Amino acid sequence: MKVTKEEVEYIARLAHLEFTAEEALNLAGEFTAILEHFDQLAQEDLSGYGMDTFEKEGLRLREDRVVPFEHFGELFNNTASMAGTAVKIPKVVD
Amino acid sequence: MEVEKLTIKRIHEGLQQKEFKAEEITKAYLERIKSYDRQIGAFLTLDENSALETSRQVDQRIARGSALNILDGVPVAVKDNMCTRGLRTTCASKMLEDFVPPYDATVVEALKHQGGVILGKTNMDEFAMGSSNENSGFHPVRNPWDSSRVPGGSSGGSAAAVSAGFAPMALGSDTGGSIRMPAAFCGLVGVKPTYGRVSRYGLIAFGSSLDQIGPFARTVEDAAYALEGIEGFDPRDSTSAPGRTKEDYAAAMKQGVRGMRIGIPREFFAEGVNPEVRRIVLRGVKSLEDQGAEVEEFTLPITQSGLSAYYMISSAEASSNLGRYDGVRFGYRAGEYKNFEELVVKSRTEAFGKEVKRRIMLGTYVLSSGYYDAYYKKAMLFRQKVRGLFREAFETYDAIVSPTVPMLPFKLGEKTQDPLEMYLADLFTVNVNIAGIPALSMPAGFSESGLPVGIQFMGNHFEESKLFRIAYALEKDLGLDLIPELGGVE
Repeated sequence: MKVTKEEVEYIARLAHLEFTAEEALNLAGEFTAILEHFDQLAQEDLSGYGMDTFEKEGLRLREDRVVPFEHFGELFNNTASMAGTAVKIPKVVD
Repeated sequence: MEVEKLTIKRIHEGLQQKEFKAEEITKAYLERIKSYDRQIGAFLTLDENSALETSRQVDQRIARGSALNILDGVPVAVKDNMCTRGLRTTCASKMLEDFVPPYDATVVEALKHQGGVILGKTNMDEFAMGSSNENSGFHPVRNPWDSSRVPGGSSGGSAAAVSAGFAPMALGSDTGGSIRMPAAFCGLVGVKPTYGRVSRYGLIAFGSSLDQIGPFARTVEDAAYALEGIEGFDPRDSTSAPGRTKEDYAAAMKQGVRGMRIGIPREFFAEGVNPEVRRIVLRGVKSLEDQGAEVEEFTLPITQSGLSAYYMISSAEASSNLGRYDGVRFGYRAGEYKNFEELVVKSRTEAFGKEVKRRIMLGTYVLSSGYYDAYYKKAMLFRQKVRGLFREAFETYDAIVSPTVPMLPFKLGEKTQDPLEMYLADLFTVNVNIAGIPALSMPAGFSESGLPVGIQFMGNHFEESKLFRIAYALEKDLGLDLIPELGGVE
């Protein structure tokens, strides 16, 4: 299945990445080759299988309990820019 | 002191008998790292002061007459995708170049609790995406057996560290073969445990339904001790398996293989496998047969489709997991941006490497509207088929054997131009992660040019003890010399 440069650019917007025109063209070629290889999955007989055929139990949840968190200061040690307890970023909505 | 020859067991005995001190051992390993790691590139961060302090604390406990854990005083290298509180954790990416975690991963807590001496953080393929450790955002790792060749990936730094004698034990992570493959390329034992056996809390996620942490060591016995030290239920990891009793692999492994049934899937030995690899692995199988195991060929037609399914599932999960890296709360933030969207896009584009971006894009593509059914859903249905086929196979066999990698360790740069060619290195490892079963890779011998060859044993869920039994029997028979001369062959 041939992947186009325009499809790559669309996917890049979804993935919050950007590429030059040349990079997008190269990626389109790579994806075409990779997805052609993946197409052999279409030959597999998958009848009789559901998404959870061998799953034994549903999601295991723990008790919803409030536990005091004592490391608030450390949590934001890696944040680039703070204003008090708020993370500083450009306006999200103009 | 020839620390490169020490094992976990030998260190434990030596400390108990007061032949040497923990601080002495740690200093010797640190000296060896400083002497040789420039040519290997195994470590990204050394934590010299903390390591020496921990070793001194172990010596103080010995002086007080305290009983020792098997890991007390044992130097350990930790792959740089496991959070270590206060110690830089980068995933070998510019995105996390200055990231200092505010907490320890559960496995790191376990090591510290048992007196393990964490020497530092090891190099890897960026965000664990790669099979050669050439995708590190900082510098590649070289194979201690031949420095012109790759150590395998993505846990290449951890593998190279143990192989080069920088530590007797290291931790890696395995999503599609990232422990087993470098173990094979570096002449080591590497274990990918059953999914859920070892906590993923604090492991920076790549493919959350596939990732598992496991050990590297030079001997099967050491790998057994290492796994015993890090496994166990963790309520902080919702995928951690509850209700399992503590296992003693080191005790169980000496029972021999008489009467065990080992399956050889013919598709894993087909055309395309390097002839030397095939010959050496089959010689290992013969050794087990001579020791009383029953060996039988059977069909397991999952390799090619499994590789496709793996890359779709893992890339899809990666595209979701790596969505958190947006320059807002932590990680790299671009220097210049006009608005919020540019902050996010530029931060991600500037900081992620080529392979990471490729996989995020592939994952986003297979999940996107119009392609979800054709790719991702199909891959997930095939995943169930793989589980079913393994389940059937393990009704007959105690373990399934294969080469770990279809090729010998390749030269740096040899496979970097074609991503698909690199992906093919994972042909025999990915289905293990898809099914969540355990697998162990160990040295089976050397090629004529002196390159290590790995043999892989796959087992049923939570049957790691059978894998250790088989591996120990083979190791004893082979008696390989597994310490490379550093400097390698150019």
